Amino acid sequence: MSKGSDTRRHRRDFIKTGAALTATAVAGFPFVSRAQNKPIKIGMPTIQSGRAAMVGSSSRNGCMMEIEKFNAAGGLNGRMIELIARDTKGKPEEAARLSRELVNSDGCEILFDSESSAGAFAIHEVAKDLGVVVMHMNTETSSLTADPKLRVPTAFRASRQGIHDSIAAGSYAAKIAKDKGLKKWISCSPDYAYGRDSTALFLEYLKHFYPEVEVVGEVWPKLYQPDYTDALTKILQIKPQAMYSCLWGGDLTAFVDQSTIYNLFTQMESFTINVADYTILTAIKNLPKGLHSSNRYLSTFPKSEANAKWAADYRAKFNEYPITWSWENATGTKFILEGIKKAGTTEAKKLADAIRGMKIESPFGVDGTVTMREEDQTLVNYAIGWGQTIPKDPFMPDVTAVDWKVIYELETAWKKKNNYT
Amino acid sequence: MMKSSFLRDCLIALAAFAILAVLPFVYPSRGMSDFVIRLAAFGIFATSLNLLVGYAGLESFGHGLFFGLGAYTFALTMQKLGTSIPVAFALTILLSVVVACVVGAICVRLKEIYFAFLTLAFQMLLHSLIIAWTPLTGGDQGLTGGVPRPPFLGIRLDQPYHLYLFCGGLLVLCLLLMRHIVQSPFGYTLRMIRDNPARATFLGVQVWRMRLAAFVIAGAFGSIGGMVMSLFVSGAFPDFAYWTISGEAIFMIMLGGTTVFFGPLAGAIMLLMLNDAVTKLTEHYGLVLGIIILMFALGLRKGFMDYLAEWWRGRQMSSVAAPAATQARPLPAQPVKVAGE
Repeated sequence: MSKGSDTRRHRRDFIKTGAALTATAVAGFPFVSRAQNKPIKIGMPTIQSGRAAMVGSSSRNGCMMEIEKFNAAGGLNGRMIELIARDTKGKPEEAARLSRELVNSDGCEILFDSESSAGAFAIHEVAKDLGVVVMHMNTETSSLTADPKLRVPTAFRASRQGIHDSIAAGSYAAKIAKDKGLKKWISCSPDYAYGRDSTALFLEYLKHFYPEVEVVGEVWPKLYQPDYTDALTKILQIKPQAMYSCLWGGDLTAFVDQSTIYNLFTQMESFTINVADYTILTAIKNLPKGLHSSNRYLSTFPKSEANAKWAADYRAKFNEYPITWSWENATGTKFILEGIKKAGTTEAKKLADAIRGMKIESPFGVDGTVTMREEDQTLVNYAIGWGQTIPKDPFMPDVTAVDWKVIYELETAWKKKNNYT
Repeated sequence: MMKSSFLRDCLIALAAFAILAVLPFVYPSRGMSDFVIRLAAFGIFATSLNLLVGYAGLESFGHGLFFGLGAYTFALTMQKLGTSIPVAFALTILLSVVVACVVGAICVRLKEIYFAFLTLAFQMLLHSLIIAWTPLTGGDQGLTGGVPRPPFLGIRLDQPYHLYLFCGGLLVLCLLLMRHIVQSPFGYTLRMIRDNPARATFLGVQVWRMRLAAFVIAGAFGSIGGMVMSLFVSGAFPDFAYWTISGEAIFMIMLGGTTVFFGPLAGAIMLLMLNDAVTKLTEHYGLVLGIIILMFALGLRKGFMDYLAEWWRGRQMSSVAAPAATQARPLPAQPVKVAGE
C-alpha cells in the first residue's frame, strides 16, 4: 500500500517535473529568444493626410531605404527595426500626443520627427520630457538646434537649415548680380514666418556680398493663394532686374505657371530657391529655362555614382522621384542606425553619445560624407548648390557647389548676433 | 434642497478624484495618464461651451478664442514672467474674464447666426494676432522653448503622476463648479431665457446681462481647458486658437449631447478615443469621423447621452404607466424632466 503510494508519488513527481520542463521549453526558452529578437521600435509622427500628405510618404520612404538595408544585414544582434508611422494631421498637439503614445504605449525607443516646424518643436518637448532620442528630419528652422536654451542632449537634426540655405543663396545670387549688374531686386514670398524670415536672411546676405543691391519692392502673397495676378502685376509694374522667391509646394507651381503666362521670367533674373525638387520640377507645366534655384534634391548633384544609384534605387522601389524630405529622412535614419551599431544598444544616453559628432558616408555629402556636428547636434557638410533650370530631365545640368567655409564663417557670426553662442 | 444636492455632488466629485488618484496604481500606463490629461483639457472646454449652447441657447462658433487665449496667456506668463503656476492660472483667468466681458458685451445682444459668426470673427482675430505677433508668440511655429513647471505647494508638475493628478483634479473641480452653476437659480434663469427670452424679459430678467454672465463664465472655464493643454504639450500653438478647435468642441457636444450635463464630457471621451483608435488604423481619419458623425446625426438624431437619458425616462414612464393601466386608475401627475436638467 505504502509502496504503491510511493510509486504514485514518484510518478506524480515525474509528471510534474516533466510538465515543468515542457512548460519551460515551450514558454521559457522562446521567451528568452523573443526578448533577444524583440524588434527595435521607432516611432514616426508625420503628416499623412491633407494637402501636405507627401511629407509623410516621402519621409517614410526615405527611412525605409536605410531600415531595409539594416534589417537585411541582420539588425542589431538579430533585433530588427520596426518603423511605426502615425498621422499627426499637421497638428502640433497631435504630434505631441502621438509621440508620447508611441513611446509610452507602443514601446518605441526612438522617435523620428518628420513633421512641420511647429510639430517639430512639440516633439522636441516630448523628447526632453521622456528622455528618448529624437532625430528631427524635416524642419529647417535654425533656432531649433542653434538656440542653446532649446537644446536637448538626446535631440538631433538631420535636415537642411534655413541659415545655411540663406547664406548659400546670398553668396550665389550676389555673384550673378555682380556679373550681370543686377542692383534692383524684388522679393515675392509667402506671408508667414518661414517666408518672411527666409527672405530677410537672403536679402541680408545678398547685401553682405554685394552691398550695391537695392530692394525696390516686396510682395507677400498669402499661403495657399490660388491666384497670383495681383502679385505678378505689381512685380511687372516695379520692373526690377531680379526677383527672389521662397514660395514652395503647390504655391510655387501655381506661381511659376502663372508667371509664364505674363512672360515674367524673360523680363528679370529669378531666384526661386525651392524649384529644384522633383515634385516641383515635374509638376510645373512648362518649366522655364534659366530659373536659378538651390538643389532641394537632385540625383545629379552631388555628381557621384552613389547619389545617382540611390536615386535610381529609390525610383525603382517606390515608383516615384525622391525629394528633399526623402534624402533628409534617409540621412537621419542612417545616423540612428550607425549610432545603434556603434553603441551596441538603443539606450538613449549611450546612443546620443555615439551619434554626437559622428561622420558617416553619404551620397548627399559634399565629399561623400556628412557630419552630425557635436556642438549643436545638427547636420553639416551636406551638398548645397545653385544652378539654372532647363525644361527637361536632368532639369538642372550644371550646379555650382557653395563653399561650406563661407557658410560656417557667416553662421558663426549669425549665432553671435542672436546670442546663440 | 439645493445645499443637499451640492453636498451630494461634492461627495461624487471626491469619489471621482479618489478613483482618478488610484487608477495609475491599478492600471499603470502613461498612455492612460496622457488620455486623462487631454480629456481634462477638452472635457472642461466642451462642457464650458455647453453652458452657452445647451443652457443659454447661445450657439458660439468662436469658443476656441478662450482655449487659445488660455493656452497662450498661461504659457507666456510662465515663460516671460517666471511666476508660480497658481499666479499664472489666476492671471490667465482674469484676462479671459476681461476679454469675455468685452467680446460678450458686443456679441450677446445679437441673435443666433449673427452671434455665432461674430464670436468666430473674434476667435480668428486672436488667431491672426498670434500669427502676426511673431516676436512674442512665435508666429505660426508656436510658442517654443517649453513651459516651465516650478513646484508649488508640494506639487511638482514635472513629475508625470503629479501632472496627471493635477489635471484630473482640475477636471473634477471644474465640472463640479459648472454643475453647481447650472443647478443654481442662475442656471434655471438661463434655461428660461433659452426657451423663451420674451417671457423672461416680462418677468423682469435682464436677458443680455444673464447672457453676458454666462458668456464670461464659459470663457473663464474655456481658458482653463487651454491652460491644461498648454501644460500637456509644454507650449502653445496657433492651432489652439483656430476655428477648428471650436469645431472639435461642437463635435464633442453633438456626439455626447447637449441636454445632459455630462454629455459634452462623454462626447470628449468618444471623440478622443475615436481619434486615437482611427489614427492607429487608417490615414483617412476625416472620412471615418465624418461617417460616425453622420450616423449620430441621421441615426440617433441626438447626442449619445441625450439618447440614453431619453431611453431611461421612457423606461421609467412605461414602468409607471403599466401598473396604472392594469389598475385602471387615474395617474398622479409625473414630474417631466426638462431638457438641460
